[in-house]
Amino acid sequence: MSFLKLILKNPFRNRTRAILAIIGIAIGIATIVALGMVTGGLQSATQSTLKAGAAEISVTQKGSNTFISTGGTVNESLVGDLRKIDGVKDTAGILRASANISGSSNFGPGGGFSVNGIDSDKLSLVGIDSLNGTGFSNGSTNEIILGKTSANNLNKTVGSTINLFGTDFKITGIFETGNFIQDAGAYMSLSTLQNLTGNDEKVSNIVVKVDENANVTQVGQSIENNYNDLTATTAADQANRINEGLGTINTASTAISLLAIIIGGVGVINTMVMSVFERTREIGVLKAVGWRNRRILGMILGESIVLTLVAAVVGIIMGIVGVEVLLNVIPSSGAVIKPVLTLDILARAFLIALLVGILGGLYPAYRASRLAPTEALRYE
Amino acid sequence: MDKENIIEIHDLKKNYDKGNIKALNGVDMVIKKGEFISIMGPSGSGKSTLLNMIGALDRAEEGTIEVAGIDLMKTSDLSEFRSKEIGFVFQMHNLIPNLSVLENVEIPMYESQIKSHQMRERALELLEAVELKDKADTSPTKLSGGERQRVAIARALVNHPSIILADEPTGALDSKTGDVILKMLKELHNKEHVTLVMVTHEPYVAQMADRILNVLDGKITASS
Repeated sequence: MSFLKLILKNPFRNRTRAILAIIGIAIGIATIVALGMVTGGLQSATQSTLKAGAAEISVTQKGSNTFISTGGTVNESLVGDLRKIDGVKDTAGILRASANISGSSNFGPGGGFSVNGIDSDKLSLVGIDSLNGTGFSNGSTNEIILGKTSANNLNKTVGSTINLFGTDFKITGIFETGNFIQDAGAYMSLSTLQNLTGNDEKVSNIVVKVDENANVTQVGQSIENNYNDLTATTAADQANRINEGLGTINTASTAISLLAIIIGGVGVINTMVMSVFERTREIGVLKAVGWRNRRILGMILGESIVLTLVAAVVGIIMGIVGVEVLLNVIPSSGAVIKPVLTLDILARAFLIALLVGILGGLYPAYRASRLAPTEALRYE
Repeated sequence: MDKENIIEIHDLKKNYDKGNIKALNGVDMVIKKGEFISIMGPSGSGKSTLLNMIGALDRAEEGTIEVAGIDLMKTSDLSEFRSKEIGFVFQMHNLIPNLSVLENVEIPMYESQIKSHQMRERALELLEAVELKDKADTSPTKLSGGERQRVAIARALVNHPSIILADEPTGALDSKTGDVILKMLKELHNKEHVTLVMVTHEPYVAQMADRILNVLDGKITASS
């Protein structure tokens, strides 16, 4: 039997203890993997919100939230006024509303079903460049297009109907922008939504497409200078806000990972110290038959690493399963989070397991290698 | 060192408990190559301590000790010496329970840099010599006391040592099994041309040896 086979075999001589140690470490690894998958998914999703919209600036009433403001807070007339500002190529007014859909719990983010009103010829400004279907006409009172995520969640296809605000709408198209918020919602004619929600000549925000040679920040500043009651948020501003949020999540994730390493490491030390303690006499015999101190150290350290690498495999599986369970238990989370398992996450899990194995096994291995042969042989 | 001598010890002293216990109190001893020596003495006389000194499991404080040409007082790392020159047979066989009989016999060969298949061949050769080849893949926990001690003997011989040190090898066995073990040890001592040094407190066991050394209060008091 090779030395490597011996190292692979020894950790499992006490199966119960090995399994418990593996589970303890695996929970830490699972946490790291699950957090990594979720934050990775959030990062992809938030990046998609930035690239999906063709417009670079979102103009809202001062004090309202660019992402989730609903209702008509901005005069529709400003849509045309803003188009006259230097550097502005095109504008579109968007009215946002939230609708209840009876019999379905698969709502998009925010709790209600997100319905947006826009002129049909301005869909490209919100990133809808292509459509499966025919789309809707301006002023049409019974046509609507759905995002792919909402269509899947509601089991709707082109041609089926959906009842919103007490009115039946025919689904005339399904779009996919890659933006998780957009794709969980729907679009209809602006005037129709204004009528249904009592927001005549009002919009929630105005999206602004900037000339190719224009400076986005300067155009945004221009809008705010000309209209004191409006806030112009550029894509860069949005990115910064999102990155700050993600930064906080990443910091928390790192802190949790560190805690998992410490707890895992303590568990490994405990397991290996007990193992060495129980094998004191055996180690004395190994020394008596001529094993060098470094071979004994290598054996104990190797066993520790075997335990933690097995725990890494178990932990990765637990992490993936855990995330899947989360998505099934909270169905709406699937609209927001698309967990991503990357090679980086797997590499990190194994590296952390290796580190825990080395750090946790070093002290017991050293102790074992320094045992005096005669004392070890006398041990009962 | 005389070329015929394999062990030469002069005025060897070993203390424990900060000098309060004089385990060896000036031992002088010479053993020739190929001899079978019994070391007898009452409990606490220092016979196991003497065996540990010869096997380099411990170091003396004073005196000189040369084994197989190696000055044990001047050599810092004695694990290579133990691996190449010494085979131990303990009173309690000290086999590793989660390894098979074959794997237990292979254990001393890890430091010898030989390939796995050669280790296996050598281990099987010795298991055949102790009549346990058919138990090669068995766990030691399923063997009798006598069978386990036979495995321990095979393990002790696996690296072609020049000296076998047996510390009361039949102490935990019934007399019939003990006789089988002693007979096997003596046969292998002759066949493998190893020097055999055995600690015992039983006179009938000591009588099997070429020479008996009596130890009392950490000194050799008689040699016959």
